[in-house]
Amino acid sequence: MNKPEKLPHFRVVGTNPIRPDGLDKVTGRAVYGDDFKIAGMLHGKVLRSPHAHARIKSIDTRRAAKLPGVRAIITGADFPKPSVAMVPMGEGGYVDMNDTADNVIAKGKAFYDGHVIAAVAADNPHIAEEAVALIDVKYEVLPPVMDVRSAMAPGAAVLHETFNPGAFFMKTHKVLPNASRLELGAGDVARGFKEADVIVEREFTTETVHQGYIESHICTAQWDERGQVTIWTTTQGAFAIRDQVAIVCAVPMSHVRVVPLEIGGGFGGKDTAYIEPLAAMLAKKADRPVKVVMSRAESLRATGPSSGTFIRAKMGAKKDGTLVAADLSFAYEAGGFPGGPIAAGVLTSITRYNIPNVRLEGFDVLVNKPKVKPYRAPGATQSNFAVEQVMNQLAEKLGMDPVEFRIRNAMKTGDRLILGFPCPPVGGVEMLEAVKKHPHYKAPLGKNQGRGVAFSFWFGAGLTSSAELSVNSDGTVQMCTGSCDLSGTRLTLAMQAAEALGIDVEDVSPTIGDTHSVGYTLQSVGSRTTFATGIAVYEAAQKVLKEMAGRAALLWETDPANVAVDRGDFTDMNNPAHRFTFRELADKLEHSGGPVSAQSTVTPERVGFQLAAHLVDIEVDTETGKVDILRYTAFQDAGKAVHPDFVAGQIQGGVVQGLGWALNEEFWYDAKGRLCNASLLDYRMPIALDVPMIDVVILETPNPGHPFGVRGVGEVPIVPPAAAVANAIYDAIGVRMDALPMKPGRVLQKIKEQKSAAA
Amino acid sequence: MHDFQFVTPGTLNEALKLLAKHGASAQLLAGGTDLIVKMRVRHARPDLVLDAKHIPELNVLKLDGTGLTIGAAVSCRSIYLDERIAARYPALVDCTALIGGIQIQGRATVGGNLCNAAPSADTIPALIALGAMAHLRGPKGKRQLPVEKFCLGPGKTALRKGEMLIHVRIPKPAKNSGAFFLRFIPRNEMDIAVVNAAAAVVLDARKTKFISARIAIGAAAPTPLYVEDAGAVLADEPVSENMIAEAARIASDAVRPITDMRGTIEQRRDLAAVLTARALRGAIDRAKRGNR
Amino acid sequence: MATVWIPTPLQALTGGEATVRATGGTVKELVEDLDRSYPGFKEAIVGEGVLVRPGISVVVDGSVVKKGLLHPVGAESEVFFIPAIGGG
Repeated sequence: MNKPEKLPHFRVVGTNPIRPDGLDKVTGRAVYGDDFKIAGMLHGKVLRSPHAHARIKSIDTRRAAKLPGVRAIITGADFPKPSVAMVPMGEGGYVDMNDTADNVIAKGKAFYDGHVIAAVAADNPHIAEEAVALIDVKYEVLPPVMDVRSAMAPGAAVLHETFNPGAFFMKTHKVLPNASRLELGAGDVARGFKEADVIVEREFTTETVHQGYIESHICTAQWDERGQVTIWTTTQGAFAIRDQVAIVCAVPMSHVRVVPLEIGGGFGGKDTAYIEPLAAMLAKKADRPVKVVMSRAESLRATGPSSGTFIRAKMGAKKDGTLVAADLSFAYEAGGFPGGPIAAGVLTSITRYNIPNVRLEGFDVLVNKPKVKPYRAPGATQSNFAVEQVMNQLAEKLGMDPVEFRIRNAMKTGDRLILGFPCPPVGGVEMLEAVKKHPHYKAPLGKNQGRGVAFSFWFGAGLTSSAELSVNSDGTVQMCTGSCDLSGTRLTLAMQAAEALGIDVEDVSPTIGDTHSVGYTLQSVGSRTTFATGIAVYEAAQKVLKEMAGRAALLWETDPANVAVDRGDFTDMNNPAHRFTFRELADKLEHSGGPVSAQSTVTPERVGFQLAAHLVDIEVDTETGKVDILRYTAFQDAGKAVHPDFVAGQIQGGVVQGLGWALNEEFWYDAKGRLCNASLLDYRMPIALDVPMIDVVILETPNPGHPFGVRGVGEVPIVPPAAAVANAIYDAIGVRMDALPMKPGRVLQKIKEQKSAAA
Repeated sequence: MHDFQFVTPGTLNEALKLLAKHGASAQLLAGGTDLIVKMRVRHARPDLVLDAKHIPELNVLKLDGTGLTIGAAVSCRSIYLDERIAARYPALVDCTALIGGIQIQGRATVGGNLCNAAPSADTIPALIALGAMAHLRGPKGKRQLPVEKFCLGPGKTALRKGEMLIHVRIPKPAKNSGAFFLRFIPRNEMDIAVVNAAAAVVLDARKTKFISARIAIGAAAPTPLYVEDAGAVLADEPVSENMIAEAARIASDAVRPITDMRGTIEQRRDLAAVLTARALRGAIDRAKRGNR
Repeated sequence: MATVWIPTPLQALTGGEATVRATGGTVKELVEDLDRSYPGFKEAIVGEGVLVRPGISVVVDGSVVKKGLLHPVGAESEVFFIPAIGGG
């Protein structure tokens, strides 16, 4: 068959159809974690460490076991030592399964407030909760290590005697008792700063923040008589959960079936097994199905947040506005186990500008907090907060417009990145020009009002995805993929299938398979689902079309090479009278060799970079330090927006989360390392009244690595808001913010310092 | 949550008897917006929960010639939705309409807010500024307390064993008076006050001079604080920004805040001054417009 | 001869050189060639058998290649070793 080299225009991609799962979600029919129930189900509750850092001397479960209605109790002693040490877990590189197992349930030592000590299954949640309170644990409390600087200081308490640094080039192993280090560079930084006419050097801190997905972690586990366990859970990746459960519970992967339910938000935080191995072990011990529901407090205390950081940034530019040097050092919290986002945070810090002389340093620092997890673009929001403020300061010193300064230095297609390789097609300059031309950029501002801009970059991920398409005799198509739907990807994948097959999107029925029903698919992370699983769908569609073209050739008694396929229309190039629509041919499959289906598993290699530029207007109440967001415009390159409304939704969601990170969100630990604000009342995410309408400008520089030009979109929108707001505060009242969150008390403190400096 | 008995007394006497019998292991439930939350996180473990919603005396909401009676089980929403009450006591609308969302306001009560005795309680400063009295009943009969004397510390009240709050009584506003409540939160809704403040002023007939003023600050001491001196300094003085600043300074000096996850000592001191000034300006503005 | 970009942590092995030329038909052969000139290079890159060490991605001519060390390279190819990046 002849594959269409170029689609002249799109029929389905780029439109905004209604999502097939939408009505069920708003009417309550969709089955989320807590909606799942099964006959004979017990309820599990978890005992968590009240100490941030403690040795477990003994666990006595006898009193709890005597409580009527208690069916099983487990502790770390019930779990085997993992037989596999390092396992690839998506683009996070490799995960040390010993750490994963110890994070699921403490063995000997608790590494953070909320670390699991034991779990109970009982007839109802209240009995389980009472039983948990009856478990006696003796601890030897150790000094908690709560921030990166004290963790790296001489004499700091040591979390792990040995650990796997896990980040980059294993030979660079740990450099400090609680930290490992990564360094990258190019050129000669000292020479670069000598050439610089202006230099800005500053320090920044950011606090630990949580994704705050509205649905907490919830799962149910049941064993069958063959020793297979089925787990219904709310997750970003069924296969990731399967692999972790199999290794942590020492069950063959083929004996773990993970069924993904609907998910109420993930943002990077929901592909780690926390309660699934506990539910599985409790269910095995009780010989009954067990459901475990994490409360909001448990989710905040014990699931992976994003790192708090300490950042040193020094950058220099020449009078003509050319950046010549950057020396940046980032210390990211890893949490209680190694493996924070240093590689990503460090690499994305300046990858969008051309800077000849660069030194980048990253520390992965163990602290007594939950093991960190990605939060959209992991590590990038923190590094962007530093670099984009320094960029504005350099522009101010140079007397240049901050957007013009960024245009002068923006990375263009083919430029060498810090790691040496040429930049794939990007539209950074075009985006910054669009910012300059937008009416928002020149709109008037009032007293105590200011405008900020930030420009950001994110890699995104490819990784393995599988899809299967089955053609029904009425011309409709079943589509099954392994990608959990976080953001409407059922529809964006169905749209790509429809586009490729030349049929209406309503004729593609998308489902999400479980680990026993679909090919291996990595998590819905890294902005990869519409991109990578989209390619799997596209490839499966090509196989379907090829097989159907063969059937047409059979029916027309010609060679398959003579069959032309154009968006589901099949024609005989030698006989114009021979034509089939997709639907007509589908009806004839049964009698020309049987129904057609095709499967595809792909690992795409050319991921399109994500770029975003955000503009924000704010107003500061100079008496209280409160910052109000007045206007927000987000520019982003989607490559090709498959469903523009969903792209806008991803951008708006990311911006709102970024604004929360910027203004008020932080984990607040007391001196003993206990999380005090483990509720959504006091972990202050933005509410509807805190954000204006987020205006979205979608640009499209096609990604040559995807048949329709798609880039991932979900991660980069969280990167610029904090820096943009900081720049806007300076524009409004002339104070430089060096710490997140920029909460009222902190802004007020800056205003007071400014006043006393002036006096 | 552990097992407990739930009883719905139909009369005040029945409720008082049960309270006397069960003592500290019994808890009254009005809206339940604090109690149920506490029970779920095991901070409260009562064996007996008494539903206050069916006791007639606790459900009175009555405006008369001399003032307003708010029964202890009357919801915030029924207060601010009553147009006559809203017109006469706009400061009550300021606070009752910003606690929680509409569903919470439909359950939560001013009486419960008072008995919960949180330093940050949003209705208490307005009650203090308005000169409200708490009316109590117990085994030894009735008594009254000014609201500023009702709270003794975080979660601690002047209620004696077996005693309960029946209603609060707010006097009729004086001529040329106005009152105003506001709070500071980092977000724009759905939050606990970092500091809150209420002011009530009585002006002279020309509305250029203070006759008297009452100022109360919340979340800046172990209890909502009546700052008598800040109001007293205004008496017989002209209405001016200078005098407002003086009252704000006194309020800021009077508070005894702590540093916690919601704010620092320094921030709360600053906010006490800022909010006192803003509450006074709001109250003066209302006094000038006939307390609207 | 293909061009290999040396990651900063390994530039100590190449005497500070950021790019070096190497001979081979696959990434693995390039690495082995470099190990002859710069002993220790292979150990830093190659893990078990024909696999790169955990946490490293192989980039050939701008694409992250799933075959890793076994990916074919041409005379004009550029080869890079980059840290694996996590995502949310």
